[in-house]
Amino acid sequence: MKDTPEWTTYLAQMEQVLALDLDDARRAELLNQFTRIAAMAQPLMAYPLDDRLEVAGVYQA
Amino acid sequence: MKLAEFTIAQLQNALLTGELSARDIALQTLSAIEQHNPALNAWTEVTTDRMLQEAEGIDRLRRDGQPLPPLAAVPYAVKNLFDVAGYSTLAGASLFSDRPAARQDAWAVNKLAQSGALLSGMLNMDAYAYGFTTENSHYGATHNPRDLTRIAGGSSGGSAAAVAAGLVHFSLGTDTNGSIRVPASLCGILGLKPTFGRLSRSGSHPFVASLDHIGPFARSAEDLALVYDALQGRDSDDAFQADQPQQPTLAALDKGQEGLRCGVLGGYFHQWCNDDARAAVAVAARALNASDEVTFADAEIARYSAFLITASEGGNHYLPALRATPERFEPLSRERLLAGAMIPSAWYIQAQRFRRHFQQQILPLFAHFDVLIAPATPCSATTIGQETIHINGVDLPTRASMGMLTQPISFLGLPVATVPLQTTSGLPIGLQLIAAPFKEDLALRAARALEQQGLVMAQAATVSR
Repeated sequence: MKDTPEWTTYLAQMEQVLALDLDDARRAELLNQFTRIAAMAQPLMAYPLDDRLEVAGVYQA
Repeated sequence: MKLAEFTIAQLQNALLTGELSARDIALQTLSAIEQHNPALNAWTEVTTDRMLQEAEGIDRLRRDGQPLPPLAAVPYAVKNLFDVAGYSTLAGASLFSDRPAARQDAWAVNKLAQSGALLSGMLNMDAYAYGFTTENSHYGATHNPRDLTRIAGGSSGGSAAAVAAGLVHFSLGTDTNGSIRVPASLCGILGLKPTFGRLSRSGSHPFVASLDHIGPFARSAEDLALVYDALQGRDSDDAFQADQPQQPTLAALDKGQEGLRCGVLGGYFHQWCNDDARAAVAVAARALNASDEVTFADAEIARYSAFLITASEGGNHYLPALRATPERFEPLSRERLLAGAMIPSAWYIQAQRFRRHFQQQILPLFAHFDVLIAPATPCSATTIGQETIHINGVDLPTRASMGMLTQPISFLGLPVATVPLQTTSGLPIGLQLIAAPFKEDLALRAARALEQQGLVMAQAATVSR
Protein backbone atom coordinates (compact mmCIF):
# COMPACT_ATOMS: atom_id res chain seq x y z
CA MET A 1 0.00 0.00 0.00
CA LYS A 2 1.33 3.39 -0.95
CA ASP A 3 1.26 6.78 0.66
CA THR A 4 -1.08 9.72 0.29
CA PRO A 5 0.28 11.44 -2.87
CA GLU A 6 -0.26 8.30 -4.95
CA TRP A 7 -3.83 7.93 -3.65
CA THR A 8 -4.47 11.43 -4.93
CA THR A 9 -3.70 10.24 -8.46
CA TYR A 10 -5.74 7.05 -8.03
CA LEU A 11 -8.72 8.96 -6.70
CA ALA A 12 -8.56 11.51 -9.53
CA GLN A 13 -8.71 8.63 -12.01
CA MET A 14 -11.58 6.98 -10.16
CA GLU A 15 -13.41 10.30 -10.14
CA GLN A 16 -13.25 10.21 -13.95
CA VAL A 17 -14.04 6.50 -14.27
CA LEU A 18 -17.14 6.84 -12.08
CA ALA A 19 -18.21 10.11 -13.77
CA LEU A 20 -18.17 12.19 -10.63
CA ASP A 21 -17.73 15.93 -10.37
CA LEU A 22 -16.13 16.89 -7.06
CA ASP A 23 -14.88 20.20 -5.72
CA ASP A 24 -11.60 20.57 -3.83
CA ALA A 25 -13.23 20.36 -0.40
CA ARG A 26 -14.91 17.06 -1.26
CA ARG A 27 -11.68 15.73 -2.80
CA ALA A 28 -9.82 16.52 0.41
CA GLU A 29 -12.40 14.67 2.54
CA LEU A 30 -12.46 11.78 0.06
CA LEU A 31 -8.68 11.48 0.35
CA ASN A 32 -8.99 11.50 4.14
CA GLN A 33 -11.60 8.73 4.10
CA PHE A 34 -9.84 6.64 1.47
CA THR A 35 -6.49 6.86 3.24
CA ARG A 36 -8.13 5.49 6.38
CA ILE A 37 -9.60 2.56 4.45
CA ALA A 38 -6.26 1.93 2.71
CA ALA A 39 -4.54 1.66 6.09
CA MET A 40 -7.02 -1.08 7.04
CA ALA A 41 -6.51 -2.89 3.74
CA GLN A 42 -2.75 -3.10 4.27
CA PRO A 43 -2.64 -5.88 6.91
CA LEU A 44 -5.55 -7.68 5.26
CA MET A 45 -3.81 -7.82 1.88
CA ALA A 46 -0.62 -9.02 3.59
CA TYR A 47 -2.54 -11.88 5.24
CA PRO A 48 -1.77 -15.26 3.63
CA LEU A 49 -4.93 -17.13 2.64
CA ASP A 50 -5.16 -20.67 1.33
CA ASP A 51 -5.47 -20.59 -2.45
CA ARG A 52 -8.57 -22.83 -2.30
CA LEU A 53 -10.34 -20.61 0.20
CA GLU A 54 -13.68 -19.31 -1.07
CA VAL A 55 -15.79 -16.39 0.11
CA ALA A 56 -18.09 -16.95 3.10
CA GLY A 57 -21.76 -17.81 2.57
CA VAL A 58 -24.82 -18.20 4.75
CA TYR A 59 -24.65 -20.82 7.52
CA GLN A 60 -26.73 -23.88 6.65
CA ALA A 61 -26.27 -26.00 9.75
CA MET B 1 -49.55 0.84 37.06
CA LYS B 2 -47.78 2.23 33.98
CA LEU B 3 -47.72 0.11 30.82
CA ALA B 4 -43.92 -0.03 30.96
CA GLU B 5 -44.09 -1.89 34.28
CA PHE B 6 -45.90 -4.82 32.62
CA THR B 7 -43.95 -7.53 30.86
CA ILE B 8 -45.50 -8.70 27.61
CA ALA B 9 -46.99 -11.71 29.43
CA GLN B 10 -48.45 -9.46 32.14
CA LEU B 11 -49.83 -7.09 29.53
CA GLN B 12 -51.61 -9.97 27.85
CA ASN B 13 -52.94 -11.21 31.16
CA ALA B 14 -54.38 -7.74 31.79
CA LEU B 15 -55.97 -7.94 28.35
CA LEU B 16 -57.51 -11.35 29.08
CA THR B 17 -58.90 -10.32 32.47
CA GLY B 18 -60.34 -7.10 31.04
CA GLU B 19 -58.13 -4.86 33.19
CA LEU B 20 -56.99 -3.23 29.94
CA SER B 21 -58.38 -3.16 26.42
CA ALA B 22 -56.18 -2.99 23.34
CA ARG B 23 -57.60 0.51 22.76
CA ASP B 24 -56.54 1.55 26.29
CA ILE B 25 -53.02 0.32 25.52
CA ALA B 26 -52.91 2.10 22.16
CA LEU B 27 -54.21 5.39 23.58
CA GLN B 28 -51.84 5.33 26.57
CA THR B 29 -48.92 4.55 24.25
CA LEU B 30 -49.77 7.35 21.81
CA SER B 31 -50.21 9.82 24.66
CA ALA B 32 -46.85 8.87 26.21
CA ILE B 33 -45.10 9.20 22.84
CA GLU B 34 -46.63 12.65 22.35
CA GLN B 35 -45.42 13.66 25.81
CA HIS B 36 -41.88 12.30 25.70
CA ASN B 37 -40.79 12.13 22.08
CA PRO B 38 -39.92 15.86 21.87
CA ALA B 39 -37.16 15.22 24.44
CA LEU B 40 -35.99 11.96 22.85
CA ASN B 41 -36.42 12.49 19.10
CA ALA B 42 -36.88 8.75 18.68
CA TRP B 43 -39.99 8.67 16.44
CA THR B 44 -39.83 10.20 12.96
CA GLU B 45 -43.44 9.15 12.25
CA VAL B 46 -46.28 8.13 14.55
CA THR B 47 -48.82 5.77 12.97
CA THR B 48 -51.83 6.77 15.08
CA ASP B 49 -54.61 5.56 12.76
CA ARG B 50 -52.98 2.22 12.11
CA MET B 51 -52.33 1.61 15.80
CA LEU B 52 -55.95 2.33 16.71
CA GLN B 53 -57.20 0.10 13.88
CA GLU B 54 -54.94 -2.75 14.97
CA ALA B 55 -56.18 -2.29 18.55
CA GLU B 56 -59.78 -2.40 17.39
CA GLY B 57 -59.04 -5.72 15.65
CA ILE B 58 -57.74 -7.21 18.91
CA ASP B 59 -60.65 -5.87 20.95
CA ARG B 60 -63.04 -7.41 18.41
CA LEU B 61 -61.41 -10.81 18.94
CA ARG B 62 -61.81 -10.36 22.71
CA ARG B 63 -65.47 -9.40 22.40
CA ASP B 64 -66.08 -12.43 20.19
CA GLY B 65 -64.29 -14.76 22.59
CA GLN B 66 -61.74 -15.70 19.95
CA PRO B 67 -58.18 -16.84 20.85
CA LEU B 68 -55.66 -14.00 20.89
CA PRO B 69 -52.44 -14.09 18.84
CA PRO B 70 -49.08 -14.31 20.71
CA LEU B 71 -48.29 -10.58 20.74
CA ALA B 72 -51.87 -9.31 21.04
CA ALA B 73 -52.00 -5.57 21.84
CA VAL B 74 -48.27 -5.27 22.50
CA PRO B 75 -47.09 -1.79 21.42
CA TYR B 76 -43.96 -1.58 19.28
CA ALA B 77 -42.16 0.56 16.71
CA VAL B 78 -39.65 -0.07 13.93
CA LYS B 79 -36.47 1.54 12.64
CA ASN B 80 -37.44 3.72 9.72
CA LEU B 81 -35.75 1.49 7.16
CA PHE B 82 -38.55 -1.12 7.41
CA ASP B 83 -41.32 -0.76 4.84
CA VAL B 84 -44.66 0.19 6.36
CA ALA B 85 -47.56 0.27 3.90
CA GLY B 86 -48.63 3.82 3.14
CA TYR B 87 -45.40 5.53 4.24
CA SER B 88 -42.12 6.39 2.50
CA THR B 89 -39.23 4.30 3.82
CA LEU B 90 -36.60 6.82 4.93
CA ALA B 91 -33.58 4.73 5.98
CA GLY B 92 -32.62 7.82 7.96
CA ALA B 93 -32.09 9.80 4.77
CA SER B 94 -33.80 12.95 3.57
CA LEU B 95 -32.75 11.64 0.15
CA PHE B 96 -35.66 9.19 0.35
CA SER B 97 -38.27 11.48 1.89
CA ASP B 98 -40.03 12.13 -1.43
CA ARG B 99 -40.04 8.52 -2.57
CA PRO B 100 -43.40 6.80 -3.12
CA ALA B 101 -45.02 5.20 -0.11
CA ALA B 102 -44.41 1.49 0.45
CA ARG B 103 -47.22 -0.63 -0.95
CA GLN B 104 -46.88 -3.36 1.65
CA ASP B 105 -45.29 -4.01 5.00
CA ALA B 106 -41.83 -5.52 5.32
CA TRP B 107 -41.95 -9.28 5.93
CA ALA B 108 -41.09 -8.82 9.62
CA VAL B 109 -43.64 -6.02 10.14
CA ASN B 110 -46.31 -8.18 8.51
CA LYS B 111 -45.34 -11.07 10.79
CA LEU B 112 -45.72 -8.82 13.84
CA ALA B 113 -49.08 -7.54 12.60
CA GLN B 114 -50.23 -11.15 12.17
CA SER B 115 -49.05 -11.76 15.73
CA GLY B 116 -51.35 -9.03 17.03
CA ALA B 117 -48.76 -6.36 17.92
CA LEU B 118 -49.69 -2.66 17.62
CA LEU B 119 -47.41 -0.51 15.45
CA SER B 120 -46.87 2.96 16.93
CA GLY B 121 -44.54 4.30 14.23
CA MET B 122 -41.10 4.52 12.72
CA LEU B 123 -37.86 5.42 14.49
CA ASN B 124 -34.81 7.58 13.93
CA MET B 125 -31.44 6.16 12.87
CA ASP B 126 -28.08 7.10 11.41
CA ALA B 127 -28.53 7.99 7.75
CA TYR B 128 -28.33 4.82 5.59
CA ALA B 129 -27.56 2.87 8.84
CA TYR B 130 -23.95 4.08 8.47
CA GLY B 131 -22.88 5.15 11.96
CA PHE B 132 -22.94 4.20 15.63
CA THR B 133 -24.37 7.36 17.23
CA THR B 134 -27.75 8.35 15.65
CA GLU B 135 -26.53 11.90 15.20
CA ASN B 136 -28.53 12.52 12.05
CA SER B 137 -27.88 15.91 10.44
CA HIS B 138 -31.37 16.08 8.87
CA TYR B 139 -33.61 14.39 11.44
CA GLY B 140 -31.58 15.40 14.49
CA ALA B 141 -29.83 13.33 17.17
CA THR B 142 -31.78 10.82 19.22
CA HIS B 143 -31.27 11.44 22.94
CA ASN B 144 -30.47 8.66 25.38
CA PRO B 145 -33.35 8.20 27.89
CA ARG B 146 -30.81 7.39 30.65
CA ASP B 147 -29.21 10.83 30.19
CA LEU B 148 -30.65 13.16 27.58
CA THR B 149 -27.29 14.87 26.99
CA ARG B 150 -25.87 11.60 25.66
CA ILE B 151 -26.10 9.63 22.43
CA ALA B 152 -28.47 6.69 22.13
CA GLY B 153 -25.93 4.81 20.01
CA GLY B 154 -26.63 3.67 16.49
CA SER B 155 -27.50 3.04 13.94
CA SER B 156 -30.78 1.79 15.50
CA GLY B 157 -30.69 4.57 18.11
CA GLY B 158 -34.39 5.44 17.93
CA SER B 159 -35.29 1.77 18.36
CA ALA B 160 -33.24 1.47 21.55
CA ALA B 161 -34.35 4.82 22.99
CA ALA B 162 -38.05 4.04 22.44
CA VAL B 163 -37.78 0.81 24.46
CA ALA B 164 -35.42 2.22 27.12
CA ALA B 165 -37.87 5.07 27.74
CA GLY B 166 -40.64 2.53 28.34
CA LEU B 167 -42.81 3.92 25.55
CA VAL B 168 -43.13 0.59 23.71
CA HIS B 169 -42.45 -2.98 24.83
CA PHE B 170 -40.21 -3.84 21.92
CA SER B 171 -38.86 -2.49 18.67
CA LEU B 172 -37.14 -3.69 15.54
CA GLY B 173 -33.68 -2.63 14.45
CA THR B 174 -31.01 -3.82 12.08
CA ASP B 175 -27.39 -4.73 12.71
CA THR B 176 -24.71 -4.69 10.01
CA ASN B 177 -21.68 -4.09 12.23
CA GLY B 178 -23.25 -3.54 15.65
CA SER B 179 -26.31 -1.38 15.07
CA ILE B 180 -28.50 -3.39 17.46
CA ARG B 181 -25.84 -4.22 20.04
CA VAL B 182 -24.29 -0.73 20.33
CA PRO B 183 -27.53 1.19 21.04
CA ALA B 184 -28.77 -1.63 23.32
CA SER B 185 -25.55 -1.23 25.30
CA LEU B 186 -25.66 2.56 25.51
CA CYS B 187 -29.41 2.80 26.28
CA GLY B 188 -29.37 -0.05 28.81
CA ILE B 189 -31.77 -2.58 27.28
CA LEU B 190 -31.54 -6.04 25.73
CA GLY B 191 -31.08 -6.69 22.04
CA LEU B 192 -30.82 -9.79 19.88
CA LYS B 193 -28.75 -9.98 16.72
CA PRO B 194 -29.64 -13.41 15.36
CA THR B 195 -27.43 -15.63 13.20
CA PHE B 196 -26.70 -14.12 9.78
CA GLY B 197 -29.46 -15.39 7.48
CA ARG B 198 -31.82 -16.40 10.33
CA LEU B 199 -34.60 -13.81 9.92
CA SER B 200 -36.09 -12.45 6.72
CA ARG B 201 -34.84 -9.04 5.61
CA SER B 202 -37.44 -8.63 2.83
CA GLY B 203 -38.89 -5.15 2.78
CA SER B 204 -36.09 -3.55 4.75
CA HIS B 205 -33.90 -1.01 2.99
CA PRO B 206 -30.54 -2.73 2.37
CA PHE B 207 -27.18 -1.30 3.32
CA VAL B 208 -24.63 -4.15 3.08
CA ALA B 209 -26.22 -7.36 1.77
CA SER B 210 -23.28 -9.47 3.00
CA LEU B 211 -23.67 -8.31 6.60
CA ASP B 212 -27.19 -6.95 7.25
CA HIS B 213 -29.27 -8.63 9.98
CA ILE B 214 -32.60 -7.66 11.54
CA GLY B 215 -33.50 -8.19 15.19
CA PRO B 216 -35.52 -7.05 18.21
CA PHE B 217 -34.92 -4.89 21.31
CA ALA B 218 -36.77 -5.40 24.63
CA ARG B 219 -36.39 -4.84 28.38
CA SER B 220 -36.28 -8.51 29.42
CA ALA B 221 -34.98 -11.79 28.04
CA GLU B 222 -38.50 -13.23 28.14
CA ASP B 223 -39.95 -10.40 26.04
CA LEU B 224 -37.01 -10.61 23.65
CA ALA B 225 -37.51 -14.37 23.21
CA LEU B 226 -41.26 -13.94 22.64
CA VAL B 227 -40.69 -11.40 19.88
CA TYR B 228 -37.82 -13.35 18.31
CA ASP B 229 -40.01 -16.46 18.21
CA ALA B 230 -42.76 -14.49 16.47
CA LEU B 231 -40.29 -13.20 13.86
CA GLN B 232 -39.10 -16.65 12.81
CA GLY B 233 -40.36 -18.25 9.62
CA ARG B 234 -39.34 -19.00 6.07
CA ASP B 235 -39.48 -16.26 3.44
CA SER B 236 -38.85 -17.65 -0.02
CA ASP B 237 -38.26 -14.12 -1.37
CA ASP B 238 -35.15 -13.60 0.79
CA ALA B 239 -32.20 -15.16 -1.05
CA PHE B 240 -29.95 -14.67 1.98
CA GLN B 241 -32.18 -16.51 4.44
CA ALA B 242 -30.79 -19.83 5.68
CA ASP B 243 -32.98 -22.86 5.13
CA GLN B 244 -33.54 -23.62 8.81
CA PRO B 245 -36.61 -24.84 10.68
CA GLN B 246 -38.16 -22.61 13.31
CA GLN B 247 -36.54 -23.06 16.72
CA PRO B 248 -38.68 -21.45 19.44
CA THR B 249 -36.62 -20.19 22.37
CA LEU B 250 -39.17 -19.16 24.99
CA ALA B 251 -40.01 -22.57 26.48
CA ALA B 252 -36.42 -23.34 27.53
CA LEU B 253 -35.53 -19.80 28.61
CA ASP B 254 -35.89 -20.41 32.34
CA LYS B 255 -33.30 -23.18 32.22
CA GLY B 256 -30.96 -20.21 32.47
CA GLN B 257 -27.36 -21.30 32.88
CA GLU B 258 -28.21 -24.98 33.54
CA GLY B 259 -25.46 -26.90 31.73
CA LEU B 260 -24.18 -23.81 29.88
CA ARG B 261 -20.43 -23.73 29.32
CA CYS B 262 -19.40 -20.07 29.28
CA GLY B 263 -16.06 -18.41 28.54
CA VAL B 264 -14.68 -14.89 28.33
CA LEU B 265 -13.31 -13.31 25.19
CA GLY B 266 -9.94 -11.76 26.00
CA GLY B 267 -7.21 -10.24 23.87
CA TYR B 268 -8.62 -7.61 21.49
CA PHE B 269 -11.93 -7.51 23.41
CA HIS B 270 -10.17 -6.91 26.74
CA GLN B 271 -7.71 -4.41 25.30
CA TRP B 272 -10.09 -2.08 23.43
CA CYS B 273 -12.45 -1.10 26.25
CA ASN B 274 -12.35 0.86 29.49
CA ASP B 275 -12.42 -0.32 33.10
CA ASP B 276 -16.23 -0.07 33.32
CA ALA B 277 -16.57 -2.56 30.48
CA ARG B 278 -13.94 -4.89 31.98
CA ALA B 279 -15.67 -4.77 35.37
CA ALA B 280 -19.02 -5.68 33.78
CA VAL B 281 -17.43 -8.64 31.98
CA ALA B 282 -15.88 -9.81 35.27
CA VAL B 283 -19.27 -9.65 37.05
CA ALA B 284 -20.99 -11.65 34.31
CA ALA B 285 -18.11 -14.14 34.14
CA ARG B 286 -18.42 -14.85 37.87
CA ALA B 287 -22.19 -15.21 37.59
CA LEU B 288 -21.96 -17.61 34.64
CA ASN B 289 -18.99 -19.58 36.00
CA ALA B 290 -16.89 -18.52 33.04
CA SER B 291 -13.38 -19.13 34.29
CA ASP B 292 -11.65 -19.75 30.95
CA GLU B 293 -10.51 -16.97 28.65
CA VAL B 294 -10.21 -17.42 24.90
CA THR B 295 -8.91 -15.07 22.25
CA PHE B 296 -9.78 -14.57 18.61
CA ALA B 297 -6.52 -14.33 16.70
CA ASP B 298 -6.80 -11.68 14.00
CA ALA B 299 -9.89 -9.99 15.50
CA GLU B 300 -8.52 -6.64 14.36
CA ILE B 301 -8.20 -7.84 10.77
CA ALA B 302 -11.76 -9.15 11.02
CA ARG B 303 -12.86 -5.66 11.98
CA TYR B 304 -10.93 -4.15 9.10
CA SER B 305 -12.48 -6.66 6.71
CA ALA B 306 -15.99 -5.84 7.94
CA PHE B 307 -15.18 -2.15 7.45
CA LEU B 308 -13.98 -2.77 3.87
CA ILE B 309 -17.00 -4.88 2.90
CA THR B 310 -19.31 -2.28 4.43
CA ALA B 311 -17.62 0.62 2.67
CA SER B 312 -17.52 -1.18 -0.66
CA GLU B 313 -21.09 -2.52 -0.76
CA GLY B 314 -22.55 0.61 0.83
CA GLY B 315 -20.61 2.84 -1.55
CA ASN B 316 -21.72 0.87 -4.58
CA HIS B 317 -25.33 0.95 -3.38
CA TYR B 318 -25.38 4.74 -3.19
CA LEU B 319 -23.12 5.55 -6.14
CA PRO B 320 -25.90 6.62 -8.57
CA ALA B 321 -27.34 9.00 -5.99
CA LEU B 322 -23.87 10.23 -5.00
CA ARG B 323 -23.40 11.16 -8.63
CA ALA B 324 -26.84 12.67 -9.23
CA THR B 325 -27.76 14.42 -5.96
CA PRO B 326 -24.71 14.71 -3.70
CA GLU B 327 -26.17 17.80 -2.02
CA ARG B 328 -28.93 15.64 -0.51
CA PHE B 329 -26.54 13.33 1.35
CA GLU B 330 -25.78 13.19 5.04
CA PRO B 331 -22.56 15.22 5.25
CA LEU B 332 -21.20 12.97 8.01
CA SER B 333 -21.03 9.99 5.66
CA ARG B 334 -21.08 11.25 2.05
CA GLU B 335 -17.35 11.05 1.29
CA ARG B 336 -17.01 7.88 3.37
CA LEU B 337 -19.54 6.26 1.01
CA LEU B 338 -17.75 7.69 -2.01
CA ALA B 339 -14.40 6.35 -0.81
CA GLY B 340 -16.03 2.94 -0.41
CA ALA B 341 -17.25 3.03 -4.01
CA MET B 342 -13.64 3.46 -5.12
CA ILE B 343 -12.16 0.46 -3.27
CA PRO B 344 -10.16 -1.90 -5.54
CA SER B 345 -11.96 -5.22 -6.02
CA ALA B 346 -8.89 -7.13 -4.72
CA TRP B 347 -9.41 -5.60 -1.26
CA TYR B 348 -13.11 -6.43 -1.20
CA ILE B 349 -12.64 -10.03 -2.34
CA GLN B 350 -9.77 -10.58 0.09
CA ALA B 351 -12.07 -9.38 2.88
CA GLN B 352 -14.80 -11.84 1.82
CA ARG B 353 -12.31 -14.71 1.68
CA PHE B 354 -10.82 -13.71 5.03
CA ARG B 355 -14.36 -13.97 6.42
CA ARG B 356 -14.44 -17.67 5.55
CA HIS B 357 -10.96 -18.13 7.03
CA PHE B 358 -11.99 -16.38 10.25
CA GLN B 359 -15.12 -18.55 10.54
CA GLN B 360 -12.98 -21.67 10.13
CA GLN B 361 -10.66 -20.48 12.89
CA ILE B 362 -13.37 -19.51 15.38
CA LEU B 363 -16.22 -22.02 15.02
CA PRO B 364 -14.28 -24.96 16.57
CA LEU B 365 -14.23 -23.01 19.86
CA PHE B 366 -17.92 -23.79 20.23
CA ALA B 367 -17.07 -27.46 20.76
CA HIS B 368 -15.89 -26.30 24.20
CA PHE B 369 -18.13 -23.30 24.91
CA ASP B 370 -21.83 -22.55 24.52
CA VAL B 371 -21.56 -18.83 25.21
CA LEU B 372 -18.67 -16.36 25.03
CA ILE B 373 -18.82 -13.06 26.90
CA ALA B 374 -17.42 -9.75 25.59
CA PRO B 375 -18.24 -6.07 26.02
CA ALA B 376 -20.65 -4.65 23.41
CA THR B 377 -19.10 -1.18 23.43
CA PRO B 378 -15.69 0.14 24.52
CA CYS B 379 -17.40 2.49 27.02
CA SER B 380 -20.79 3.84 28.10
CA ALA B 381 -22.70 6.52 26.19
CA THR B 382 -20.74 9.64 25.27
CA THR B 383 -22.25 13.10 25.10
CA ILE B 384 -23.94 14.20 21.89
CA GLY B 385 -21.38 15.85 19.63
CA GLN B 386 -18.36 14.25 21.36
CA GLU B 387 -15.99 13.49 18.51
CA THR B 388 -13.54 11.12 20.21
CA ILE B 389 -13.37 8.42 22.87
CA HIS B 390 -10.17 7.72 24.78
CA ILE B 391 -9.60 3.95 24.86
CA ASN B 392 -6.42 1.96 25.49
CA GLY B 393 -4.41 5.19 25.56
CA VAL B 394 -5.63 6.30 22.13
CA ASP B 395 -8.17 8.90 21.00
CA LEU B 396 -10.55 7.21 18.56
CA PRO B 397 -13.39 8.70 16.47
CA THR B 398 -16.64 8.02 18.35
CA ARG B 399 -18.86 7.60 15.28
CA ALA B 400 -16.77 4.75 13.83
CA SER B 401 -15.31 3.21 16.99
CA MET B 402 -18.33 2.50 19.20
CA GLY B 403 -18.75 -0.65 17.12
CA MET B 404 -15.19 -1.90 17.21
CA LEU B 405 -16.09 -4.77 19.58
CA THR B 406 -19.25 -5.78 17.72
CA GLN B 407 -17.85 -5.75 14.18
CA PRO B 408 -15.74 -8.94 14.40
CA ILE B 409 -18.75 -10.88 15.75
CA SER B 410 -21.28 -9.85 13.07
CA PHE B 411 -18.53 -10.47 10.52
CA LEU B 412 -18.66 -14.08 11.76
CA GLY B 413 -22.47 -13.97 11.62
CA LEU B 414 -22.86 -15.42 15.12
CA PRO B 415 -26.01 -14.87 17.21
CA VAL B 416 -25.60 -12.43 20.09
CA ALA B 417 -27.87 -11.39 22.94
CA THR B 418 -26.84 -8.05 24.46
CA VAL B 419 -27.59 -7.41 28.15
CA PRO B 420 -26.97 -4.20 30.11
CA LEU B 421 -25.18 -4.01 33.46
CA GLN B 422 -24.82 -0.85 35.51
CA THR B 423 -21.41 0.81 35.81
CA THR B 424 -20.10 2.80 38.75
CA SER B 425 -20.99 6.00 36.88
CA GLY B 426 -24.64 4.93 36.93
CA LEU B 427 -24.74 4.58 33.16
CA PRO B 428 -25.35 1.15 31.62
CA ILE B 429 -22.94 -0.82 29.47
CA GLY B 430 -23.90 -3.86 27.45
CA LEU B 431 -22.30 -7.28 27.23
CA GLN B 432 -22.39 -9.52 24.19
CA LEU B 433 -23.41 -13.12 24.93
CA ILE B 434 -22.21 -14.89 21.80
CA ALA B 435 -23.30 -18.38 20.71
CA ALA B 436 -22.71 -20.77 17.80
CA PRO B 437 -24.77 -20.38 14.60
CA PHE B 438 -28.53 -20.92 15.18
CA LYS B 439 -28.01 -21.24 18.94
CA GLU B 440 -29.94 -18.07 19.77
CA ASP B 441 -31.61 -20.07 22.54
CA LEU B 442 -28.32 -20.41 24.43
CA ALA B 443 -27.47 -16.70 24.17
CA LEU B 444 -30.96 -15.87 25.46
CA ARG B 445 -30.65 -18.39 28.30
CA ALA B 446 -27.38 -16.77 29.40
CA ALA B 447 -29.15 -13.39 29.37
CA ARG B 448 -31.96 -14.88 31.45
CA ALA B 449 -29.42 -16.35 33.89
CA LEU B 450 -27.94 -12.89 34.49
CA GLU B 451 -31.46 -11.53 35.06
CA GLN B 452 -32.22 -14.35 37.51
CA GLN B 453 -29.17 -13.23 39.51
CA GLY B 454 -30.37 -9.62 39.55
CA LEU B 455 -27.50 -8.30 37.46
CA VAL B 456 -29.35 -6.91 34.43
CA MET B 457 -30.42 -3.28 34.72
CA ALA B 458 -32.95 -2.74 31.94
CA GLN B 459 -36.00 -1.20 33.60
CA ALA B 460 -37.63 1.71 31.79
CA ALA B 461 -35.94 5.07 32.32
CA THR B 462 -37.82 8.09 33.60
CA VAL B 463 -37.55 10.69 30.87
CA SER B 464 -37.33 14.24 32.13
CA ARG B 465 -35.84 17.30 30.52
